[in-house]
Amino acid sequence: MQYMVLIYEPEEKYAGLNETALTEVVAKHMALSAEMREAGVLLGGDGLEGVATATTIVTGAGGAQTLHDGPFAETHEQLGGYYLLDVADLDAAIAWARRMPVVEGGKVEVRPVMTY
Amino acid sequence: MEGRLIEAARAKVVAALAARFRDLDLAEEAFAEAAASAVTAWRRDFPDSPPGWLWRTAYRKALDIRRRAATRTQAVFDEPPPQETPEEAMIAADQPIPDERLRLIFVCCHPALDGASRIALTLKVVLGLATDRLARAFLVTESAMLQRLTRAKKKIAAAGVPFEIPGPAAWPERLDAVLTALEIAYAQAYEDAALANDTAGFAAEVLRLSGLLAELLPEEPEVLALAALVRFAEARRPARLDAAGAMVPISLQEPHLWRGDRIAEGAHLLDRAADLARPGPRQILAAIHGAHLSRQETGVTPWGDIVRLYDALLMVRPGAVTAVNRAVAIAEAYDPEEGLRAFNAITGERLASWLPWQAARAWLLDQTGQRLAAASAYDAALALNPPPAERLYLECQRRRLG
Repeated sequence: MQYMVLIYEPEEKYAGLNETALTEVVAKHMALSAEMREAGVLLGGDGLEGVATATTIVTGAGGAQTLHDGPFAETHEQLGGYYLLDVADLDAAIAWARRMPVVEGGKVEVRPVMTY
Repeated sequence: MEGRLIEAARAKVVAALAARFRDLDLAEEAFAEAAASAVTAWRRDFPDSPPGWLWRTAYRKALDIRRRAATRTQAVFDEPPPQETPEEAMIAADQPIPDERLRLIFVCCHPALDGASRIALTLKVVLGLATDRLARAFLVTESAMLQRLTRAKKKIAAAGVPFEIPGPAAWPERLDAVLTALEIAYAQAYEDAALANDTAGFAAEVLRLSGLLAELLPEEPEVLALAALVRFAEARRPARLDAAGAMVPISLQEPHLWRGDRIAEGAHLLDRAADLARPGPRQILAAIHGAHLSRQETGVTPWGDIVRLYDALLMVRPGAVTAVNRAVAIAEAYDPEEGLRAFNAITGERLASWLPWQAARAWLLDQTGQRLAAASAYDAALALNPPPAERLYLECQRRRLG
């Protein structure tokens, strides 16, 4: 089964990190990705630029679309990156998701990808 | 008699079907269809092995349901019925039913499911409790319960919850999820005793489920301890209400009313847990219950032992529940003033709106001779909407103080 692992973190925690600490987080992601690739479960994944760069398209009544500067909702944690995994079941997905390097307050959501 | 035989076979057959088809709804539906045909079929020709008959029939029904669903989605008409596969033929032969009950319990109590849904789902799927009964036991409407069950089953199917017994790495967390679910059920069933009769049977189901788990996991001391705990609590059921229907506190219960068979069962389970030499909170809790019950033999409650057990429990399971019970035990064992001091040292959020805290406070103030403060504490407890039997008890205590 395919699972999307969505990483939500309070962005301001990253703003406070110095260069060394930031490099360390990136290195952890690289190491975990390498391990997942090795295990044959990694289909894809990337980090996202900050929510300040987000643009949201809102579709209203009659299909009218408007653009908003920012994420779809103002929340304490923001979507900062994702991994797409192909594993046997939810337990396997959770086992990988538990190892995501996140800062304090970080949340990792595991969602099955629909099959058609 | 058919009904009893069908119910006795339910857990095994549903579990085997669920494990085979990895679909809880299908397992329940197929079992229900098999049970419905059993009633007439058994009248014509009673099977040698009713569970075996149910298993084979439910298995075929499950295949039929799957085929019907496939036919509907693919819109194929007049397709001849498929040939029986070798596997189906094997099932049709008199194979023993694979015991997948433990797997099923682990699926229903997966930590990815909401805590309150786990036990409801387990009782529904494993023991076949009806939705209306579950709704009454969990004090929600029937439609809310149905929604909860449907949501949990949907999540299991769509999120890919594995139908496997968890491996060693995940074992402690997964087992804890199962035990916590059972503890919630036990607390519910215990409260139940004082409530109306129509829900009282729920305790019997929890007794069964805890016994089943102890049978399936005989090497897990906390599982055995929880089964012991439920038996000890159930042993006291006949003594828990007085003639007027008021709650009788454990220290005032008539020990000759306690059920000796349940006490013996519980003691045996707890001994087996102790032999495994891996202590845990549920073993301590069961030992506390056991200590109370020893009054049946000795005539006195070993309050000193109970205080020491609460000390130990506080280390592994800190919290207001343990601390309040410990303060009461200290008052009984040594001196009410000391109990009250221990009680006053308890900190926590919103304690004043928590019934066990108010009731214990009232009792401790009463024991230390502070009549006025005790009376107002009983009033505060009564304002917290206690269950009927406890209300009667608290009212009686309150009246005594004038």
